[in-house]
Amino acid sequence: MKDATTLLQAAQSILAPWAKEFTYPDPMRLDVALAAGDIAPAAAALRAAGWGYLTAITGLDLGVEAGKLEVLYHFCDGPALVNLRVTLPRDNPVINSVCGAIPSASFFERELSEMFGVTVAGTPNPDKLFLPEDWPDGVYPLRKDFEPELLTRGRP
Amino acid sequence: MTGIWSIIALLFFPGGLFVLTCGLAYEWVDRKLIARFQNRLGPRWFQPAADVLKLLAKEEVVPAGVNPVLFKWLPVIALAGALTAALYVPMAGLPPAFSFPGDLIVALYLLSLLTLCTGLAGANTLDRFSIVGAVRTLTQLFSYEAPFMLALLSPAIVAGSWQTSEIIRSAGGQWILLTQPISFVIALIGLMGKLELPPFDAPEAETEIVAGALTEYSGRGYALFRLGRGVELVVGLTLVAALYMGGLAGPLDFALKTLGLLVVLALFQTLFARLRIDQTVGLWWRYGALLALAQMLVIVGAKVIA
Amino acid sequence: MTEQVPNKFIVPIGPQHPALKEPGHFEFSVDGEIVTDASIRLGYVHRGVERGTEDRTWVQNLYLIERICGICSHIHATAYTLGVEKLAGLSAPPRAQAIRELFCELERIHSHLLWIGVAAHEAGFDALFMYSWRDRETVMDLLEELSGNRVHYSCNVLGGVKFDISDAQRDAILRGLDFLEQRTHHYLQVVTQDAAFVRRTRGVGVMTKEQAVEYGAVGPVARASGVERDVRVDAPYLAYEQFPVQMITDTAGDLEARFAVRVRELFESYRVIRAILDKLPAGELMAKMPRKIPPGEAIVRVEAPRGELFYFIKSNGGDKPERVKVRTPSICNFGSVARLTIGHQLADAPMILAGIDPCFSCNDRAVRIKRQDHIQSWTWSDLRRYALKKYSA
Repeated sequence: MKDATTLLQAAQSILAPWAKEFTYPDPMRLDVALAAGDIAPAAAALRAAGWGYLTAITGLDLGVEAGKLEVLYHFCDGPALVNLRVTLPRDNPVINSVCGAIPSASFFERELSEMFGVTVAGTPNPDKLFLPEDWPDGVYPLRKDFEPELLTRGRP
Repeated sequence: MTGIWSIIALLFFPGGLFVLTCGLAYEWVDRKLIARFQNRLGPRWFQPAADVLKLLAKEEVVPAGVNPVLFKWLPVIALAGALTAALYVPMAGLPPAFSFPGDLIVALYLLSLLTLCTGLAGANTLDRFSIVGAVRTLTQLFSYEAPFMLALLSPAIVAGSWQTSEIIRSAGGQWILLTQPISFVIALIGLMGKLELPPFDAPEAETEIVAGALTEYSGRGYALFRLGRGVELVVGLTLVAALYMGGLAGPLDFALKTLGLLVVLALFQTLFARLRIDQTVGLWWRYGALLALAQMLVIVGAKVIA
Repeated sequence: MTEQVPNKFIVPIGPQHPALKEPGHFEFSVDGEIVTDASIRLGYVHRGVERGTEDRTWVQNLYLIERICGICSHIHATAYTLGVEKLAGLSAPPRAQAIRELFCELERIHSHLLWIGVAAHEAGFDALFMYSWRDRETVMDLLEELSGNRVHYSCNVLGGVKFDISDAQRDAILRGLDFLEQRTHHYLQVVTQDAAFVRRTRGVGVMTKEQAVEYGAVGPVARASGVERDVRVDAPYLAYEQFPVQMITDTAGDLEARFAVRVRELFESYRVIRAILDKLPAGELMAKMPRKIPPGEAIVRVEAPRGELFYFIKSNGGDKPERVKVRTPSICNFGSVARLTIGHQLADAPMILAGIDPCFSCNDRAVRIKRQDHIQSWTWSDLRRYALKKYSA
């Protein structure tokens, strides 16, 4: 089995063309900051190189004051973990789908868009996954300014 | 037979009340045996009766989009068919209430009535599970019916008669299952197919299509179908026991032989995983029909030589 | 009736259906008995746990998170405590780690036996269902003996575990394992040799290794297709370094392989539990945890019974987490169901679905009550008010 250091170095060289910054929060983990437009080619490059698999997509709301959302793409290979980190504006977050290279990302992207209001351009199925069909538009439950009252306001 | 006796035969014994009670009792034995084989406690003795009474007391919901006349009367016809069949078999080891040359054929077709009604009942509703269930019920009917008939034909050919009592008499107390084991097994398994017992329960496989053709049935209709199933179980067992196990000499003989067969059926039900409908059809036509046919040819051949 | 596209006959499975022990919605388009298309809709038991964690303290969350799943409760709590401990920069004492691992494996045994029963029931093989659930009681009794609970053991606390294992309990576990091991040999025989059962599993729902990677399958489903991924082996956590497990894989990729892989994993669990009980490290059960957790992000991956469980925990330095992201194994495996059922018999669809051992509650993590006039999503305070009213009466 390959050790984490070798794997992470390999990932670093694959991702070099797009990366804005590399950081190692711990020996098994590499964080890569990317521009929003670069996520699809970067993910495709990892996939093409056979580096690991996409294990999850995490959305983060940095708060109303910061005005930013973060999206993290977690890739794993053995013990090594690579996070692709993209920062998006809070008022109009748009990101490209990675489903072209990684079809299994569809569910993660659906969850991301319904929970955080991130528009995932080019995702094969933009329908809601978890939330009810009649969930009000523009209400995103995992954003920091979400209040349960938003759901019932203006209703009978 | 005088009028009063006919009415008694129809309403109480051997048709009517007696077969119904018998059906519930046999259903309980079947459920209890399976439960014990599966290491469960199983239902109490009155459970099938309690189920039927509860269902009879419940409101019957007639779903939108069905033909209400068919919906209401199909269960009645199904039960009537099964009850009528009971009149032509040596129920409780006594001579059949009605008998004429060819009664075996009539009994067999009356038994199929229940399956046909179930299929029609499913096709009558708009529910998808019912429709899939109906298709499967009828598909299954077409797969086991021919081998089952061929299997029962064999003892009839030996005896040279289509009359149940005549076949039994010509066997003279001999157990035909010893000389015709193949057709006996096919008849027994055919009976399981007819009753949609596991592993032939694809038409009502709950994990796929809920309750199959009867999904939309509740209350009285469902109770009648269930009663019909119970009656058919008794009639079918009686028929197989009488034809293959040297006739039924009396109530005790009847109880021993049919319950013995029921134990075998319960074992089969426990031992196997459910067959997919295509596997059922394949099994019957690839093996069942051919084996039954082979058995019959051997008998015909033997008869010609003799 | 919903609108129908011509020539398309849709068999809905769910949200309520006997094949599903929990609500999910699957629509299978069928042509005769052959499935031509499948779609999935989840969220019927979405309880907003991820959001809920942000309003609770680090300790309160432990109990909330343990309730994400009613089968693999311990593994969720373990992943969460590991993450919080990582953020706090400390780790539980070795004895605590070993006891956690012990619970993980006992939980795996109970989960796999439960699955065998459910999957057998889907195949209409109730005898196996009844027997495997009877034997599962052995491990349930052991868990109750150890923790006082059958399902939510609450064995974890931040920084360690709550209870120790006495000699008497150790002997009870060993006895239970002996019985289970003998039974498991029998089950392995049944799932690989019983002619009637194998007819429903062999060659059904075949997923090649390439497909498994493409669909993002995890856990026993992926391993049954020959994908060598097991977090316990790849990135050992808890005491898996000291008490390692072997990765169980198969190459066939069909339902039979999924059965075989899970049953063979049971033997690994028995072996590891014996090893742990044999060399249980001495020492403390708990490390002291601060009330506030330093800011940072932690990622934890653990191997739940159903596959890789992923936790992302972010702290802002307060007494509550900033964000807890849970990615359960089932959501990865659901993707494969939709694709695998196409071209199969309708009768095989529930089997294939059961084959991934779906766990909906895990997945769906707002109580929502539908009324005739309007839809109401119940909030925490609504629920509390409702409960107080109901139980004060």
